[in-house]
Amino acid sequence: MKESYFLGIDIGSTTSKCILLNSQREIIGSSLVSAGTGTTGPQKAYEDILEKANLTAGDISFTVATGYGRIMFTEANDEMSELSCHAKGVHHIFPDVHTIIDIGGQDAKVISINDAGKVINFVMNDKCAAGTGRFLDVMATILQININDLEIHAREAVRPAKISSTCTVFAESEVISQLSSGENVNNIVAGICESVAGRVASLAKRVGIKEEICMSGGVAKNGGVRDAMSKSLGAKLQYSPKAQYMGALGAALFAYDKLNI
Amino acid sequence: MTKVNELLEQFHKVAVSPEEQLKSYLSQGRKVVACVPVYTPEELIHSMNLVPFGAWGAEIEVREAKKYFPAFICSILQTTLEMGITGKYDGISAIVIPSLCDSLKCLGENWKYGVPNIPFIPMTYPQNRNNDNGRAFTKAGYLRVIDDLEKITGKKFSEAELAKSNKVYNLHNQAMRRLSDVLVEYPWISASQRNDIFKSAYYMTKEEHTTLVNQLMDLLLEMPKETSNMKKIITTGIIADSRDLLTIIGENDMQIVGDDIAHESRQYRTDVNESKDALEGLADKFSRMDNCSVLYDVDKKRGDYIAEMAKRTGADGVVVVMTKFCDPEEFDYPIMKKKFDAAGIPSVLIEVDMQMNNYEQARTALQTFKDMLN
Ligand code: SF4
Repeated sequence: MKESYFLGIDIGSTTSKCILLNSQREIIGSSLVSAGTGTTGPQKAYEDILEKANLTAGDISFTVATGYGRIMFTEANDEMSELSCHAKGVHHIFPDVHTIIDIGGQDAKVISINDAGKVINFVMNDKCAAGTGRFLDVMATILQININDLEIHAREAVRPAKISSTCTVFAESEVISQLSSGENVNNIVAGICESVAGRVASLAKRVGIKEEICMSGGVAKNGGVRDAMSKSLGAKLQYSPKAQYMGALGAALFAYDKLNI
Repeated sequence: MTKVNELLEQFHKVAVSPEEQLKSYLSQGRKVVACVPVYTPEELIHSMNLVPFGAWGAEIEVREAKKYFPAFICSILQTTLEMGITGKYDGISAIVIPSLCDSLKCLGENWKYGVPNIPFIPMTYPQNRNNDNGRAFTKAGYLRVIDDLEKITGKKFSEAELAKSNKVYNLHNQAMRRLSDVLVEYPWISASQRNDIFKSAYYMTKEEHTTLVNQLMDLLLEMPKETSNMKKIITTGIIADSRDLLTIIGENDMQIVGDDIAHESRQYRTDVNESKDALEGLADKFSRMDNCSVLYDVDKKRGDYIAEMAKRTGADGVVVVMTKFCDPEEFDYPIMKKKFDAAGIPSVLIEVDMQMNNYEQARTALQTFKDMLN
C-alpha cells in the first residue's frame, strides 16, 4: 500500500516551519525558513520539506496550516489556530505538560491544557512588542550582539540590570542609559531576559500555572530567557530543542487526525 | 422570507448610517438630543417630544479629541468627542452625559470646551441607588435634566407625557427581551444581523423600532424553527458592534444565544413600574437595575448572572468583549472569570477598540475558543 504523508506548516511573523509525518505519526522531515507571513518564506519552507523527502505536493494526503499567515497559504487543506496546534504538538512530545508558554517573534501566549492535551484556557499578550521575540531583536541590535549569543551573555551576568517590562520603547532608552552609565553588558542582557520573562510570567499567572510547564516558540531557544522564566515562576521548565516546531508538529498531527479519526 | 430579509436590511441600513437618520429627523423639524452610554433617561427626552439619539462612538480615527483626552480613555468616548468636535452631531440640540464612570465625567467636562455649540447636560446618578435616598438622588438628577432640556429646547415637561413614554419604553424593553430569545431558534440570522437590530434602536424612535421588531418576530415565528451545530455563546461587555469581530464570530460557527452587553440587552432588563408616579417610577427603575459594571454592587453578582444565563440558554461558552481601557469592565473581569471557571463554563477574553484595524489576534483567540468548545 502506498505510504500516506501529513504535513503541518506554521507560518509565523518572522519564520515559516514545516513538519512531515508518515502514517505512523513519525516525524520524517522538517524545514525552517527565516521569513514569515507575507514573504516567500512559507512557500520555500514547503518546497524545501518536499524536496528533502523526495515527495511532490500530490503525495501529501492532508496539509494543515497554522500561525499568523495560515489563512493566506493556499496549499493547505485546512487551517487551525496556532494555540490549538502548539498544544497538540507539545502534548505529543511532553504528555505530562499542562502549561505551555509560547513566545514567538511578535506575540506571547500561555496555554493551559488538560491531561488529554485539550486546550482549557489561554491568554495572549496585547499588541505591544514587550515580552516577545521582537523585543529581544531590538535589544540585541542596540547591544550589537548576535541574537543567538544573548544566552551566553546572560549566563555570565553577576547582577541582572533592572529593565522595564512594560514597553519596548522605554526599555530601549533604559538600555541605552545603562550602557552609558557603564553597566556591564552581561548584566544588561540578563536584565533584558528577565524583562521578557517577567512580562510573560505575569500572563502565565493569569491563566494559572499547573506543572509541568513547557516553553515553546522561537524565544524558547534562548537559555537566558528560559532561566529567567524558571526563576520568575519558581518552577522547572521542559524544553525541546525542537521548540520552534511545536506549532507545525501540532498542525501535522491535526492533518493526520483529519483523515484517520 | 423576503419580508424578513427586507426587515433585516432595514435594521442594517439604520445601524450603519445613523447620520442619515439624524438628517431625516432634523429635516422633519424634530429636535434631537444625544444620549451617551451607559444609561441615559431616554424616557424623559422622549416625553418632551424630543428624539433621543444614541452616541456610542464610531469606528473613526481620533485626531481632535486627543487635545482633550489622554490615550488611555476608552475609544467609545474618544470617538464620541471626536464626532462632536468635527461637526458630525451638528443640528443636535443637547447631549446628556451620565456620570457612570470616571471617563464619562471627563467627557462631560471636555465636551463643554470641545463642542461649545451643543450644550452638555449632566446626569448624575447616585452610587447607592437602591434605597430611598438613592431614589431621591436619582430623581433630583432627572429634575436637573428636565430643567436643562426645557431651557435649551423650549419644550415643556409633564408627568402625564412621561407616563406615556414609560409605557412606550416598557413595550420596547419587552420586545427586545423576547427578540433575544426568539433569535435563538433561527441560527441563520448572523451575529452581525442580530447586532443591527440592537444597534438600530439607538437611531430610531422606540415606537418605530418596537413595531419593526415585533413584525420581524411575527414573521420569524411563522417559519419553522431550526437547530444547528453552531456553538452557542453568550457575549458580555460594554459594546460588541465591530463588523469584523461579528463576522469572525460567524466564520467560526458561533451563534449568540444571549448577551450581557451594555449596548444591547442590559438596556432592556428592567421596566418602569407603571403603577407609580411617572418620575418616581423612572427613578425606581434605575434603583432596581443591576448586574452591570457601572452599577455599584457589593456582592458582584454579575458573573453568577451570566453563568445562569448560559445555563438557561444552553450556551457552550462566554465571550468577554473587553473595551480597551474600560476600568469598570476590567475590575469586574477577574471576579466573573472565577465564577465562570467554578461553574465549568469556558470563556475567552477578546480586547476591542474602535480604532482597531487588525482583528487577527481576535480571530486566533476565537478560533482557539471554538476548538476548546468542540
Ligand atoms: S463604562 Fe467603560 S466603556 Fe463605558 S464610558 Fe466608561 S470607560 Fe468607556
